[in-house]
Amino acid sequence: MKQQVKTITKKDFSTFVNTLIKDGTYEVIGVQAKGKRFAFDTLSSAGDLRLDYDVTILPPKKYFLPQYEMLLKFSLQKPFEGKETLLDAPRIIIGVHPYDLIALEQTDRHYLDQQQDNFYKKRRENTLLIGVDIQSVSERSFAASMNTNTTDAGFDLLLTDIGANYAVTIGTEKGEKILKKYATVKDATSTDLNKIKTARNAVLKKYKQKVKIDKKDWSSLLVANYDHAIWEERADVCMECSSCTMVCPTCFCYDVKDDVSLNLKQGNRIRTWDGCMLKDFTKVGSGEVFRDEIKERYRHRFFRKGNYLPERYGFVACVGCGRCGIACLPDIADPCNLINELAHFNSESDTGKYFIKEDNEVLEKGIIHLPRSATIKKVTTCNELDSLFEIELDDKKPLGHKPGQFVEVSLYGYGEAPFGISTPPGNTPVFEIMVRQVGNVTKKLCSLQPGDKVGIRGPLGNGFDMKTLEGKTLLFTSGGTGMVPMRSLINHVLNPKERNKFKDIIILYGAKRPKEITFMDDVDRWKKIHDVQCELTVDKCEPSECWGGCTGLITTLFPKIQADKLDSKNTIAVVIGPPVMYKFVIKCLQTLGIPDDNIYVSLERRMKCGVAKCGHCQINGVYVCKEGPVFNYGQLKQLPEAF
Amino acid sequence: MKQKPRVAVFDFADCEGCELEIADLEEEVLDLIEIVDIVSFREVMKEHSDDYDIAIVEGSIMRPMDEKRLRSIRNHAKILIALGACATMGGVNKIRNQWMPEDVKKEVYGNADLKGNELFDVFQTKALNEVVPVDYYIYGCPIDRDEFKSVITAIALGKKPEIPRYPVCVECKKNENICQFELGSFCLGPITRAGCKAICPTHNSSCEGCRGLIKKADTECVKEVLDRYKLSYEDIRRRCTMYNYGRKECSYDE
Amino acid sequence: MSKDFSVHVEHVTRVEGHGNIILDVKNSKIEKLQWNIVEAPRFFEAMLRGQQYNELRPITSRICGICSIGHSLASLKATEDALGINITHQTATLRRLAIHAENMQSHILHIGYLVAPDLVGAGSVFSMLGKHTDTVLKIVKLHRLANEMSDLICGRTIHPIRLIVGGFSMQPTEKQLTELKKRLLEALELTKELAPIIQSVSGALPSFTRETEYIGLQSDDEYALYHGDIASTDTGRHLKYREYKEVMQEYLVPQSTAKYAKHARDSYMVGALARFNLNSKQLHPVAQEVADLFKLKAINYNPFMNTIAQLVEFTHSIQDSIYLIDSLVDQGIKQEKPIKPTKKQGRGVGIVEVPRGILVHDYTLNSQGYCTKANCIIPTNQNHANIQKDMEKLVPEIINKPPNEIELILEMLVRAYDPCISCSTHYLDVSFK
Repeated sequence: MKQQVKTITKKDFSTFVNTLIKDGTYEVIGVQAKGKRFAFDTLSSAGDLRLDYDVTILPPKKYFLPQYEMLLKFSLQKPFEGKETLLDAPRIIIGVHPYDLIALEQTDRHYLDQQQDNFYKKRRENTLLIGVDIQSVSERSFAASMNTNTTDAGFDLLLTDIGANYAVTIGTEKGEKILKKYATVKDATSTDLNKIKTARNAVLKKYKQKVKIDKKDWSSLLVANYDHAIWEERADVCMECSSCTMVCPTCFCYDVKDDVSLNLKQGNRIRTWDGCMLKDFTKVGSGEVFRDEIKERYRHRFFRKGNYLPERYGFVACVGCGRCGIACLPDIADPCNLINELAHFNSESDTGKYFIKEDNEVLEKGIIHLPRSATIKKVTTCNELDSLFEIELDDKKPLGHKPGQFVEVSLYGYGEAPFGISTPPGNTPVFEIMVRQVGNVTKKLCSLQPGDKVGIRGPLGNGFDMKTLEGKTLLFTSGGTGMVPMRSLINHVLNPKERNKFKDIIILYGAKRPKEITFMDDVDRWKKIHDVQCELTVDKCEPSECWGGCTGLITTLFPKIQADKLDSKNTIAVVIGPPVMYKFVIKCLQTLGIPDDNIYVSLERRMKCGVAKCGHCQINGVYVCKEGPVFNYGQLKQLPEAF
Repeated sequence: MKQKPRVAVFDFADCEGCELEIADLEEEVLDLIEIVDIVSFREVMKEHSDDYDIAIVEGSIMRPMDEKRLRSIRNHAKILIALGACATMGGVNKIRNQWMPEDVKKEVYGNADLKGNELFDVFQTKALNEVVPVDYYIYGCPIDRDEFKSVITAIALGKKPEIPRYPVCVECKKNENICQFELGSFCLGPITRAGCKAICPTHNSSCEGCRGLIKKADTECVKEVLDRYKLSYEDIRRRCTMYNYGRKECSYDE
Repeated sequence: MSKDFSVHVEHVTRVEGHGNIILDVKNSKIEKLQWNIVEAPRFFEAMLRGQQYNELRPITSRICGICSIGHSLASLKATEDALGINITHQTATLRRLAIHAENMQSHILHIGYLVAPDLVGAGSVFSMLGKHTDTVLKIVKLHRLANEMSDLICGRTIHPIRLIVGGFSMQPTEKQLTELKKRLLEALELTKELAPIIQSVSGALPSFTRETEYIGLQSDDEYALYHGDIASTDTGRHLKYREYKEVMQEYLVPQSTAKYAKHARDSYMVGALARFNLNSKQLHPVAQEVADLFKLKAINYNPFMNTIAQLVEFTHSIQDSIYLIDSLVDQGIKQEKPIKPTKKQGRGVGIVEVPRGILVHDYTLNSQGYCTKANCIIPTNQNHANIQKDMEKLVPEIINKPPNEIELILEMLVRAYDPCISCSTHYLDVSFK
């Protein structure tokens, strides 16, 4: 549908803006000078507007995903009370360039997906965007060669400077209404429409930077050069400051912290920008950092822009604004430079290699940030490291989970931590998790007693698709704490109502030492079931530990399986354990003739938001909290960061 | 009723600015004394007790008599917090470590007879952790009051305080400051620990690294930036040694 | 009756820095009476060695956390004097506001947190809560305002970021200054409420006098804090500011890591009382009213009244700040760049009044802009001799009181001076090879 275009004299436009400011209904924000650069800020008068600007220091994302945003207010005195703090006030932002409008639409795809972020949503709904066509081009911008220098969508109104007047392209009904109410406009003539085209073309020659490869080809170029030396060469001079991600309009990873007031009575849960270039971005509670080397983080950023997000959403997550080129001190962040360098090399590849497409059901509707109140029913010490917690949701509704899913347990003032659910699905609000004391949240959790309250977000993650296991022989291999989520799956499968859906069941379990075995009761029970083979081993034990069972690594249990009786093509193997275990166990499975596509694993990463927003859990192009934590090995093995 | 932790505040060779920052909590000092009992704070209290759980110490160690006093404090306290650059790293007090104590004394006191006078018996400046083990570090010259509050509340809640291990640039960009490099200054922000909300660049002054360098100044990335801006290491050496002289490693956690 | 007792106070409480009082009495005769400074020397002169002229302020502000603005300004004045920099009128006005803010912050902290407990028989401001919560909250509110004022002007109160050679790295906006003025007006009202409360307990201040020489800055245009000539109540004005050593004559004593100073007599006093005695006619009206409330008139020879003089100065600073803000808003405040040097090298002297007294920074800069010679005269250094002399006159007058009372009075004497001992352990003329 063709858009309406009006014209307004520059004088009347000033009046329009000043009227809006005076009216007070909207907070009016506009692009203004800030020293020798430009920034969006609250506008006190139309005279401060600088629509001729080249680029702002920070993109308008700061109005939708603020640098520091209070998500919840909580009380430490009442057992479990938290209140969301949403932005209600309407705003108008004047002067957004097309590339920033496009970036916002990209962010919408991520934040307004099936698990909508209602903070972002509220801000988007409450904001009216008045865009402006580019007049001055920043030194480092390459938006023209990215086709992001003009846009037909993403704005309520769009201004183009056509001499004495502005042309105003109407994008939405909201825009039309506000124009009608506050402005004096005329219909645009065909001369005016031509002037728009001329104005846009005149700017094209101002671009100093041009990317040589069309963005639709970035994906294959990058994937073809995943292991190229260029990543390390450039990352050698990276300062790990993450300035590039801070100023980027298409970056939207965040961290969440709890802030407690000095009187220890109340606090806030704050969301703040995080950056994948920072050393601790992928660090988990036990201290492991999954993307440690600078070259890996450096490469990850470009792949996210040029391959992972294109595979997921179909767009290249770079709009050529040039902000990172300005911000990066050693000047290695500019995608234009990098792509132009890579252009010299091979570009044939399978672009979907580092991404796993999955059709996920919406697993949690509604408010994704606010935890539900739950009560600890029972705490059992399993061994010197681990305690089993039985938790009941206070609203008495079933958790509604699938085996393999996890929950985020919230302790206001301390934070959140992810835990695999250890009980099978059922019509009950009660479930179990295993807690090992490694950090602030788990330490506090271990000090709690039955009757104390916690917050629960979940169930999260994809869980096991039970349909793929039906009619098959099931081989479960657990190492150490891998038995925690595995127990949910095993007990579900062994449920008399479910049992006949599956064929033979083999359970292999290896722990480091006898005192680290969890769920010994379950193991004993499984051993007694006639059509279940259950084998247990420990890596080593002291003579004093009185261990009468097998010793040796988990791989030593595989010979106990009667390989000749195993229908390996119709066997599904599930492996969960510490990262070091996978390589060896999968080899054993392959030796048994089990195809890679029949092997499923569950991986651990830094699960923070649990709803594929904050970015910490990424393995290449995959969000472990969304496409995982359960993965098909046949698909996963292509991801270099998986193991 | 659970007893409140007992807190004592001490100082050595310092400017007392970090202790003043605690007093500058203003009305929130009333909140502070609600959650802890301050049993010794020479600067504002006559009362003193040797029975304390947490010792907050500002300042560097210069003389044997200071070492002795610090060791005694360490023995009394379950938790020792180093407050500010002088205590955590040596701060400006370490600038003189570039020269031998004898030379410095001679220059400052000339031929005055200081032999045997324990007041003047100085050795190379030491940070607290060069004498006793330290449990928590609150960096900065001066400290950031919000960080102080978050460390105290963390200890009161029984959790480990979260001190940033990323550079000042993160906070500076969040403030939408124009980069000091763009304005022609050399800023230590990219290699300095954050947590101060980039206060100096926010007031148009480049970072001097008072919270501690988290990357050594002679790494490849720094050399690259120096090259681009046509500076030599000598040009920034003085800036780098203002608070960070003699640090063997730039470790994230001391 | 013959008396034998000792009063030994190690690390006097409620003062900045570490000092000891030693009194030994045998057969009712004073055997030993000493005020000793035991603060660790920090060798600031060594830190300035070889530093560039624009790096001197960040280092010297770290001499003291409480008067870091004062040290910064003295340092900047000395540097600007050496390099021929004439700051703009706006900069001078903003710097005056900075000094007022520092004076206000330091004085109210001293009055409320360090001295008031003695006046009401408490150990600390914390133990004053309960009986005197309301008054404490008033004091805290005023302290907070003073800090917010210096945060606004200097970027940060302790180690002021915005103070640079030639001007400011950033200036406040008109909106911010107008908001500040509103708060200052409220503070003035609050001070008017506070003064009588303090007056009601000021009887606890000993009435002791000893004729003393008082030294401070003096100016025709204003109650001098930022700029003026060195003046003495004994000898009048000294116009040659670079020959400050003719007035401030320092010497070493063995029991102290800090030096003593003298001029026309054995010792002299600097600080609020000294400034009051020199310049009381230039106080703003409400400050004058506060002085009258306490019957404080020039020349007052009671060192314990230094605290009251601070309250008077506090009130004056609020009023003068309001007046300065009005002048800035009238002229329109501009974001100015700092003034650049007109000379490459030279010697410069910068003198300001900080809360505790007159402060001198003296630098020599070579043609590359490096500091080759540095000297600082610290206010508290100049007071140490006077404290000693005051004690020598005071102790015989109170010798018949019980020892714990003598101890309290001696401590109160030291506290009255509001000493800044960590600053004062800074020393001689130093030349760097």
